[in-house]
Amino acid sequence: MGKKQKRKHKETKETRAGVAPKEPLATAAFVAADAGVAAPEEEISPAEGEIAAPRLFAEPPPASSEDDDEDDGEDDEDDGSAAEIAPALPYGTALDGDAPPSPRLVPGYDLDADEAHDVAPIGPTEAVIRPSMPPASVRDEADAAGAGATNPAEIEQQIRDLEARLDLMIGRGRERADEPAYVPKPPPVPAARKSDVPKAKPRSDVPAPRASVPESATASEVLSPEFYAKQWGRAGLRSRSEEVDEFGLDPAFEAKLLPVLDFMTKRYFRVEVEGADHIPTEGRCLVVANHAGGPLPYDGAMLRAAVRRDHPAHRELRWLAEDFVYYLPFVGTLMNRLGAVRACQENAERLLNKGALVAVFPEGAKGIGKLYRDRYKLQRFGRGGFIRLCLRTRTPLVPCAIVGAEEANPMLYRFEYMTKTLGIPYFPITPTFPALGPLGLMPAPTKWRIRFGEPLTWSNYGPEAADDEILVGRLSERVRASIQSMLDRMLSERRSVWLG
Amino acid sequence: MADPIDNSNSEPRETAIPPARGSRSRSGGRVVALTGAACFLGRNLVGLLEEDPATARIVTIDVKSPDTAGPKAKHFEVDLTNPASEDRVAEILASEEVDTLVHLCFLSSPTHATGWAHELESVGTMHLLNAVRQVRLRKLVQWSQTMLYGAHPTNPNFLTERHALRADMDEPFFADKIAAERELNAFAAKSKGTVVTVLRTAPIVGPTVQNWVTRYLGMRVVPTLLGFDPLLQFVHEVDALAAFKLALDRDHPGTFNITSDGVLPLSMVLRLAGRSSMPLPHTVASSLVGAAWITQASAVPPSFLRYLRYVCVADGDKAARVMGFRPAYTTREALLDYLAAQSLRDANLLQESPA
Repeated sequence: MGKKQKRKHKETKETRAGVAPKEPLATAAFVAADAGVAAPEEEISPAEGEIAAPRLFAEPPPASSEDDDEDDGEDDEDDGSAAEIAPALPYGTALDGDAPPSPRLVPGYDLDADEAHDVAPIGPTEAVIRPSMPPASVRDEADAAGAGATNPAEIEQQIRDLEARLDLMIGRGRERADEPAYVPKPPPVPAARKSDVPKAKPRSDVPAPRASVPESATASEVLSPEFYAKQWGRAGLRSRSEEVDEFGLDPAFEAKLLPVLDFMTKRYFRVEVEGADHIPTEGRCLVVANHAGGPLPYDGAMLRAAVRRDHPAHRELRWLAEDFVYYLPFVGTLMNRLGAVRACQENAERLLNKGALVAVFPEGAKGIGKLYRDRYKLQRFGRGGFIRLCLRTRTPLVPCAIVGAEEANPMLYRFEYMTKTLGIPYFPITPTFPALGPLGLMPAPTKWRIRFGEPLTWSNYGPEAADDEILVGRLSERVRASIQSMLDRMLSERRSVWLG
Repeated sequence: MADPIDNSNSEPRETAIPPARGSRSRSGGRVVALTGAACFLGRNLVGLLEEDPATARIVTIDVKSPDTAGPKAKHFEVDLTNPASEDRVAEILASEEVDTLVHLCFLSSPTHATGWAHELESVGTMHLLNAVRQVRLRKLVQWSQTMLYGAHPTNPNFLTERHALRADMDEPFFADKIAAERELNAFAAKSKGTVVTVLRTAPIVGPTVQNWVTRYLGMRVVPTLLGFDPLLQFVHEVDALAAFKLALDRDHPGTFNITSDGVLPLSMVLRLAGRSSMPLPHTVASSLVGAAWITQASAVPPSFLRYLRYVCVADGDKAARVMGFRPAYTTREALLDYLAAQSLRDANLLQESPA
């Protein structure tokens, strides 16, 4: 019970701080909330702090009383608020003695009345947190001390001074009007901190904030931690796309990773694309490429980035990824959000029917599992499923050769013992991989070259040709041979693995 | 690459469709019987049919009467787990001249009483179908769920009706429902002149429905699987009901996925819900949730964890093409509509009785 309550309170804190839309402010607020200090207070300069009436802050705002009451199992928090309020009493006495004459906020806002708009009327709970508040008599004394200045001119001067400062504050408040909605209930200030900051802090945000509380929010909603959780959730969603695409591509997430992808294509692999105009500017198209060997294939993502950059129509390419990727945590999700789709006939057909540009690596898991000595030797092209797909959906096929990818993660050996239970086809050994841990998965900065061949169309075959096994096998072999010859040509042209 | 697709079992054979308004009852309108009439779908369908001029009478069959029953409705208290219910249902169907039966008697959340659930869903469907064999029924509509396709890494992103039902057969919640579908397919293969429709709904969410999904999302801290973020699909309760109404109004023999447009990753669902997630490593999650399930601290058994890991999204294309079913809510809208009610529930501002 107690644990749960604590958790709830933590949630409140986080969400409270998270309401702020401004990024740096929000982080500052987070830090502040962690330190147990209300974020808006941090924002205020000490000069402003002086002018506020101390009692405004010495007493706990009623809203926090609500909250504490709401989760009434929170003993430790109550202690905290008591500690916070304790120094208030000496302060009242200080007013009588050596209080500075000017900074007294007489015409301030009546906080109690003000906050009452937000707070649902609840009866008996008020008393619970009040005990540590200065008794009414003390406060009356303070007021009396404040009214102590008898000289009318002096009073006038004081009022004018105050008005000027108030205007300044309100102006500042307006500037920050887009900031946190509801005045966050200040979390308990640690006692140590409190001792050296006896001065009260003004609530510069008092005039502005109510505007940003949603009109529809009822009092009890505002009080519920869920309300803030939701606000935070929605605020967090602003940076994200409305919805992922039906295959799981998240454009906003990809845009966030774009600098990394750009770096990888432009600076790291220095991808050079030839014949990108062989890909039609619109309509369905299937790109068939050789697969890079190694623990993690980067070629799909690089192909996507390269086509987007170098194709005249900047087409969005989706690539089909092997099943086993989806067994793995993080990898499958990451690739899916970046545009990979699980390789199967249904998915490919659906994508092509929507007129998408799809890349497929027919070598499949066998291609990834290629050892270094087998690099650029095309493996069996599956069962020719990609040919069937092309015939059935009447899609032009563009062969594609990628040189450089197969040296990026040279695999020396693969363990296939016991890997089925882990859901992966093999366990790779590269010069770096198990030795350097996850860092070993980093590919070597080889020079990549991607060449697209002439598109192949089989318009003289109807969709029924997809069931012709002999034809499918023959066409598949022809595509394989054309990609292999492209690879061979590019390899003979290449002078260096690193410089191309 | 090749996914197991069995054409044999999934789809009831297309039967010769009898004339659309063939057997009218004496008062000029269809007579609809509903099993599981007090469940969420049943209650709301009864309410819909009460206002439907084409429906003459409603026969509700359940252990308790639906609270939406009006003047058209007549309630019969029958427990399908009872072997004697077979004759009793046959008697009711014959005497009330029922021409349309809607079979909704399925649990929407897993239960610990697996023996009873088996009797109700699997064996209960058998009893019911045996009763139906004794009378002449024009149409039979059964509720099923897209969850029964199972979440697998080898699933295509959109599962069509032709896809095999591959849910975990060790989990009684799925096994009983799959068995019930098998029973129905066997029935549909033989019965002449009965339109058999199976509506497989995606997980239903909405402001009033309560099932394991709403319970899962209603938790303050929602367990997820570390590193996995599957795409989820929901259907709004109104859309689910509209699909049943559509299946009642027109004859569409066959199996249909009832889904809404769009998918949402689990992480986005939780962010929309404002829930914090508790990512568990998938290697230990199963035993943790298993322990929580045994001690009744978890709403779902560990077999449901697959749905937090792999994609299980159905393709609603056939329903749109053949039935003309168009969902009014997207997945996101359906979720937001549910969350609006859930936030009131969180603040204890919503008085309701779970259905």
